[in-house]
Amino acid sequence: MTAKTEAHSIPLKNPREDWESRHAAALGDLRKPTFETSSGIPIKAVYSPEDLDQLGWRYDVDVGYPGDEPWTRGFTPGGYRKRLWEIEMYAGFGSAEDANKRYRYLLENGSTGGVSIALDLPTQIGLDPDHPLAADEIGQIGVSLMSLDDIEIMFDGIPLDKAGHVFTTGNCIGPLAAAWFLALAEERNTDPGCFTLQVQNDPIKEYIARGTQFLPIEASVKLATDMLQYVSENVPAWLPISISGSHMKQAGGSTVQEAAFTICNGIAYVEACLAKGMKIDDFGDRIELHFCTEMDFFEEVAKYRAVRKVWTRLVRERFGGTTRKAQLFRLHAATSGRPLTAQQTLNNISRITLQALAQILGGCEQTRTASFDEALGIPTELAARTSIRVNQIIGNETGIPDTVDPLGGSYYVETLTKEFETRIWDTVAEVDEMGGAIAATKAGWFQRQLAIGAYREQCRVESGEQIIVGVNAFKSDEAPPEQTFKVNPKAGEHQLAKLKALRERRDNTKLHATLEHLREDCKSGTNVMPAMIEAVRARATVGEIGQVWRDVFGEYQPQSERF
Amino acid sequence: MQSETQNKRPLRVVMTKVGLDGHDRGVKVIAQAFRDAGMEVIYTGLRRTPDEIADIVLQEDADILGLSILSGAVVPLTRRVSEALAKREIDDVLLVVGGIVTPDARQELSEMGIDGVFGPGASLSEIITFAQSNVQERSLT
Repeated sequence: MTAKTEAHSIPLKNPREDWESRHAAALGDLRKPTFETSSGIPIKAVYSPEDLDQLGWRYDVDVGYPGDEPWTRGFTPGGYRKRLWEIEMYAGFGSAEDANKRYRYLLENGSTGGVSIALDLPTQIGLDPDHPLAADEIGQIGVSLMSLDDIEIMFDGIPLDKAGHVFTTGNCIGPLAAAWFLALAEERNTDPGCFTLQVQNDPIKEYIARGTQFLPIEASVKLATDMLQYVSENVPAWLPISISGSHMKQAGGSTVQEAAFTICNGIAYVEACLAKGMKIDDFGDRIELHFCTEMDFFEEVAKYRAVRKVWTRLVRERFGGTTRKAQLFRLHAATSGRPLTAQQTLNNISRITLQALAQILGGCEQTRTASFDEALGIPTELAARTSIRVNQIIGNETGIPDTVDPLGGSYYVETLTKEFETRIWDTVAEVDEMGGAIAATKAGWFQRQLAIGAYREQCRVESGEQIIVGVNAFKSDEAPPEQTFKVNPKAGEHQLAKLKALRERRDNTKLHATLEHLREDCKSGTNVMPAMIEAVRARATVGEIGQVWRDVFGEYQPQSERF
Repeated sequence: MQSETQNKRPLRVVMTKVGLDGHDRGVKVIAQAFRDAGMEVIYTGLRRTPDEIADIVLQEDADILGLSILSGAVVPLTRRVSEALAKREIDDVLLVVGGIVTPDARQELSEMGIDGVFGPGASLSEIITFAQSNVQERSLT
């Protein structure tokens, strides 16, 4: 690695030190005391071939060509010349009927990434709408789904093959989400492989940052990997896991921590799968790593380039993945809702544009874009459409996607990419030392890192060290916008009435037999998916299935902590 | 409850998440800010019921109760916590609510007598100042 590259060994008459000394006066007295990335990586005034030489950077080893190892420049040789990135929008609220209307609207308006389903909290936490804790939350932050009936309603008039890609956040209910769509395809006499169901199915980060955990962590990982195993063996077109960094970043993690913690969690899932006897060569390409793009532009580009490099090396060296299929995971990027401000909301269109651009320059093929009014609530249709248009403008008006990895070879971006790589490997070693991601989560290590980061950032913003336009600088007096989206106030009532009718209508004897079967399989450690599918067909509700899991595995207990 | 000792010991704060919403970035930021302002802070973890919260307030002899709610259910959840406090005759804890609060919700909370309501963009110093001055006002009355 110490050999100098031929490409960058052009002798410079005046090396960097010379330049710095000649311009010392002009390089001093700067507008900020320090320049560093959001992850705390110092930023030099300028980057040049010397920086890459110092890092032992080599084009062939560190970058290579697109579609070739180490995949830094992207997984496909043609990049966006072949096709533009997928544009997904995230939506879902109210009852299944309300959600159905919104999905039809988005599909008709050019959302090419299929249907992306936000679930309400009771659904995600395995509770029926009539549970006392669910009362105020039915349909509030996503759609309320109780049983297979709701899945049918939600997809009424939407052929599964036309939806193409169906994404949902089920994390601690991953097996249920998969069972619902297997049963729906079965009812429609459709090959489940005619569309791609993607379930986030990443419970570890729920305990760290997102908060829908309801079982002990080991049980959640067992259920998630049961689903992963069943789907990769039976419906190889589906994407059974999306290991997500975005929530950890939004909870206070730096961009480096987002990348590194996600990879640590990924290691935990793959190791759990290998312990079940699975082979990485069979499921490596079913794994998605999902990140969010925030405002530190070049860091974000470097992150996506470095993550491709690190994960594929892990697959090769740690998990014994020998095939291309094992290495080529799916890299998913979403612009982050967190930097979007409630003040001067139209400014968020600029933020979304820059974020979308960074993830495109990072070579992400699947992207999701937030909406400018997200800081105020669920996006309005105008805001959702504008985000689709942002992508279409970048894709069709700018020429940006016409060459692959246009920032490749940038001294700065290549330096940052190397730096990210090094820092990710350091964190992986540190977490390995703690016994892996599950042990580190149980010890609260990840959570503490995020809380410290969040507080530090808040203090920086309040001191004015970090500027957020419209929030702590460049403020203007404007009335808050009125057009915030409101959830149908009848959604809760409607779901409760349907639940009552369902309980009366279905064959409860048959239902209980399926739930007992599920209970036995949970106890014996058998893969739960076959029993889950039976229970779902018999119209078991999310709460009834959640209760079986709670009975067998126990319930997650929150811990008080003193600050 | 503790009016005569309130000025002699650090203010005690219970920070909590009520309901199902699991976003606790904000609540942990405020917890650290209150800590750095010299208060004793306990964060309860997620998904506490109103009754559990009221019990913890009693046990901790808290001066301030910080409720963090980022789902759309801020009004009904806050009402339930207030009711659980009232049921235990806890009338001297300062209730502070943070999260996504629409103008309508703010109005409803105000009608319930809750003025310490902080939405996106509220500053730590604003929240700390509100907490300190309102607790002190209470201890004087």
